[in-house]
Amino acid sequence: MTQPIIALHHVTKRYGDATILKNIDLTLEPGKFYTLLGPSGCGKTTILRTIAGFTDATDGDVLFAGDRINDVPANKRNVNTVFQDYALFPHMTVAENVAFGLTLKKRPKPEIAERVAQALKLVQLADYGDREISALSGGQQQRIAIARAIVMEPQVLLLDEPLSALDAKLRRQMQYELRDLQQRLGITFLFVTHDQEEALAMSDEIFVMSQGEVLQSGSPVDIYDEPINHFVADFIGESNILPGKMIADFQVAFGGHQFECADAGIPVNEAVEIVIRPEDLTLTDPANAKLTVTIDTQLFRGDYYEIAATDSLGNDWLIHSVNPAEDGESVGITFRPQDLHVMRFGEKEAEFDARLETYETEDESHDEP
Amino acid sequence: MKRHLANSYLVLVFIILYAPILFLIVYSFSQGDTMTNYHGFTWRHYQTLFSDARMLAIVANTLLVALLSSLIATFIGTLGALSINRTTKRVTRESLLTLNNVLMVSPDVIIGASFLIFFTMLKIPLGFGSVLMSHIAFEIPIVVLMVLPRLREMSTSMLDAAQDLGATTRQLLSRVIIPFISPGIFAGFFMALTYSLDDFAVTFFVTGNGFSTLSVEIYSRARQGINLEINALSGVMFLFSLLLVGGYYWIQQASQKRKHRKREVVS
Amino acid sequence: MTNRKTWLYFIPYGLWLALFVIAPVALIIYQSFFDLGHHFTVANYGTYFQSATYLKMTLNSVWYAFLITLFTVLISYPTAYFLHQLKHRQFWLLLVILPTWINILLKAYAFIGIFSQAGLANQFLTFIGIGPQQILFTNASFIFVATYIQIPFMILPIFNALDDLNPAFINASKDLGASAWQTFHRVIFPLTLPGVKAGVQAVFIPSLSLFMLTRLIGGNKVITLGTAIEEHFLTTMNWGMGSTIGVVLIVAMIIVMTLTGDQKPKGGTPR
Repeated sequence: MTQPIIALHHVTKRYGDATILKNIDLTLEPGKFYTLLGPSGCGKTTILRTIAGFTDATDGDVLFAGDRINDVPANKRNVNTVFQDYALFPHMTVAENVAFGLTLKKRPKPEIAERVAQALKLVQLADYGDREISALSGGQQQRIAIARAIVMEPQVLLLDEPLSALDAKLRRQMQYELRDLQQRLGITFLFVTHDQEEALAMSDEIFVMSQGEVLQSGSPVDIYDEPINHFVADFIGESNILPGKMIADFQVAFGGHQFECADAGIPVNEAVEIVIRPEDLTLTDPANAKLTVTIDTQLFRGDYYEIAATDSLGNDWLIHSVNPAEDGESVGITFRPQDLHVMRFGEKEAEFDARLETYETEDESHDEP
Repeated sequence: MKRHLANSYLVLVFIILYAPILFLIVYSFSQGDTMTNYHGFTWRHYQTLFSDARMLAIVANTLLVALLSSLIATFIGTLGALSINRTTKRVTRESLLTLNNVLMVSPDVIIGASFLIFFTMLKIPLGFGSVLMSHIAFEIPIVVLMVLPRLREMSTSMLDAAQDLGATTRQLLSRVIIPFISPGIFAGFFMALTYSLDDFAVTFFVTGNGFSTLSVEIYSRARQGINLEINALSGVMFLFSLLLVGGYYWIQQASQKRKHRKREVVS
Repeated sequence: MTNRKTWLYFIPYGLWLALFVIAPVALIIYQSFFDLGHHFTVANYGTYFQSATYLKMTLNSVWYAFLITLFTVLISYPTAYFLHQLKHRQFWLLLVILPTWINILLKAYAFIGIFSQAGLANQFLTFIGIGPQQILFTNASFIFVATYIQIPFMILPIFNALDDLNPAFINASKDLGASAWQTFHRVIFPLTLPGVKAGVQAVFIPSLSLFMLTRLIGGNKVITLGTAIEEHFLTTMNWGMGSTIGVVLIVAMIIVMTLTGDQKPKGGTPR
């Protein structure tokens, strides 16, 4: 295993009585794109500021390439930040902004000019060096803020909700660019966002946070397909979450029926929650359906219909369907066993991982053709 | 119709505002010795003014006090604004601001009288020194008030960004904060200058016998009655005010232009 | 991490606060307890509050300051309001401010000429058939000149308050069916009241202490608190009594500041 570039060990942050971070453990490997994802106030920005050096941890260690850096001031740390409001210096031109850190380091002028030009080229604003900050659009300011940080050649780039001020279209475009930039530079990105779509699209690994704790970490696919609890399932993507009961390994009951599923290692008869993503549900003839629901309303979303329905037990269902349905119509829905995901109440990430270990290996070998 | 009424009202107000000033200046060119009937054009009063050695010395004194006190007040006031802006406790900040504003809201006579007691108690001789110190004292709060809003506009993330890029405390101040608040500092200096030039009451209390500024001199001469040399002086001072206002705007424009030119050089 | 060094920056400003803000106020209060023979006494306050002359002078002074402030508001509010509707309002505002740059003594001096026996004002009165009057050295002339001098200081804060007013409020008021007058007195005026208050602060207190005007224009007939202080300090050299009146003036100032101070606006600021 490679030496982690950043590691937090048991980091706690308190302001007076309020605990902002609760015993955070987190390691970032070099060259990967990480995302801290959570609702506002969950502590994700505090983690970023602790790594950048703007906030001191109350307890615990912050390590950079194995060295403890708790007492290293922000201006001496080899990490740089892209701020949410960009924090560009309004009294300087674009080039002066990007050159700022290098001139503080008293680098030779030609070197500064070259590195600034390169950084501007990297963010595709090569000709904008002599512009005033106020003359730039939001998206351009965003790129300058990135250029100003990466010109310092940090080993870790911290990004604090950098896309939140952009409109939807630009945000999507910047997602591609950021991912591309990270791969070209080969450095670690730690990206903070409350937008799960952003997190899923760009990250190698996501840390889902709530109320000062990391609830789950893993690849976007893992987190989407196998959320650890109700909060994660609800926060990431849209989902149907239903109360159920474990019947046996790979057998679960909910909505008044028993179904085959892909989860095991849970005591029999334990109350659980079942997650089914709306896009995994297929409308079908009630005759060959697994469940029957009544359509309440539907919204046309462009590439699909979002259908709200209710089953016989009164559970609400959200279905994404390419074809429309009729309001008030009784339809059948069907899904595959692997589309169901069973969540235990109060299960921690370590326990969840350990449980997966017990049956996933055979599962994978079973999958191989 | 309404528009006309409003405009005539404004015209009337402007006439009232400017009539006394124009009146003064018109009579500065009158051959008579009173401000009653215009007696034909002459430069005579201006010639008297410019050969009045005492008056010229007083003008020089006034300008010296104004420039020196404004420079020092701007320096101290800017440091004060930086300190106030750094306070994190609301109570400390509010009490500092209240203390800062005491001299802003105090009547001139109170400032003058209390400074007179202060200088007498400390056995500081009345004259240039006491006038200079008093002017610095009553100019500092206005500088603080001009600089503070600019400091508040400064986002904390901008300061974080500078630190993030490696700025030390000193570099933070010299490279980011001072350039950013420089419009406020400049406005503060300018206001301090006008406060100093405008002051009569405070100077009147602390000036003693040997030293005089323009306001004090005009007061003592005006008490003796009409003297068209004073009219000539108002003509000169009005011109000076116009130049100062014009200069202020010119410098602002120029600083913007300089930036433009600099950008052209870079590219 | 930088706190240790940066408090050094505070030293000059802190010294100023101590020496030129706190010390003088303390000294004037301290001085008010000494009589001419430098004996500690409360007699000055006794004299002040028992003397009909002092009390009448104080009342007069407050009354004049009130009149000056009232006239200033009456003239300035419409001026600021109409000014704010003009196209190049910032330029016109600059023209309002420009006269404040002319030394106050020069303006007072101009009125000595205008109000004199054969001056412009009397020429006008003669022209319309009233005949020359004694204008200079009357209460009316003092109030007129003081009002003249204070007008720009009242226009400025009211203008700024009008400038801060979100025009959407006016549109909303009209949209809800208010007439122009209703919009003015239900929406515009209440929202610009802080500007008026700021103007009153800027005008009332100085009007209590315009001793040079009482001397030059009022001809010593009008005695304000400011005149009395100046006389005790610089003519009769009774600093104790002068300081006592000074303390009264400071108390008056505090009362005015409290009355016009910014009460928290009703309801939340819409943001």
